[in-house]
Amino acid sequence: MRARRRRLHFASEPQGLILNSLVDIALALVIGFIVSIPLFFESGIFVNAPGVAKGAPGEVSDIKVNIHLLDDGGILLNEEQVTYEQLEKLLPELLARSLERKVIISTDPNVKYKRVIKILDLAKQKGAAELALLRSRKR
Amino acid sequence: MKRMENVDILPMACIGLMLVMMMMIIAPMVMTHTRTPVDVPQAHTAETKTEENLTITYTIDGRLFVNDSEIDPARLDDVIAEQIKGDPYQLIVIRADKEVLHQDVLEIIARVKKLGAKRIACATRKPKGE
Repeated sequence: MRARRRRLHFASEPQGLILNSLVDIALALVIGFIVSIPLFFESGIFVNAPGVAKGAPGEVSDIKVNIHLLDDGGILLNEEQVTYEQLEKLLPELLARSLERKVIISTDPNVKYKRVIKILDLAKQKGAAELALLRSRKR
Repeated sequence: MKRMENVDILPMACIGLMLVMMMMIIAPMVMTHTRTPVDVPQAHTAETKTEENLTITYTIDGRLFVNDSEIDPARLDDVIAEQIKGDPYQLIVIRADKEVLHQDVLEIIARVKKLGAKRIACATRKPKGE
């Protein structure tokens, strides 16, 4: 016996689904998702630590930028005591004359982490290309 | 026979919205390890990396967490070596409280670097309003 197929019959052909609004909403949600995801993540500062890369012996025009933070709140820039405001002014000038634009930061033993991050942040703002942290200061 | 009307897509859109909201809430929890409460320092110039990372959290009371699991500081080397085995370029994020001593943070960074880690970042947060 041959099976007979049943077919649904409509008075008129069904119209296609109108997906425009759905697609619009989905697209808006995806864009919102993509934009908002980075806001959930903490940001950070990339550092080289600890140690100092060996410079080529023949470099004559390169200027090193060494910053040392003292326990009493003082700042030494290339062995010279400066204030934070002076550091803000001097740092771009030194970095402009530096080939590597590298800033090396060392600290006394009781310096708090937030002070170091503040200096790292300033160095990046003023154009430092590379940041390095020293574990102990060699004078 | 009754003529077929347009399909009501409102419930489907609502479900889609719910799913997206759930994804937005769950995704950061899965991809990052920032559940341990730490007051990280502020920075204006920080970069944001949205990638799977290994997070070392150092709290103000001296406790150490790796991916939000507390560990004995003496075991840090073993735990990190196990985690970064085979992938020295895995991003390692140091989340330290802003009030801790820098020397302590540096000691952690030095130990991680000694194990072969190539990419280390210090977690910061942007000041409010930026």
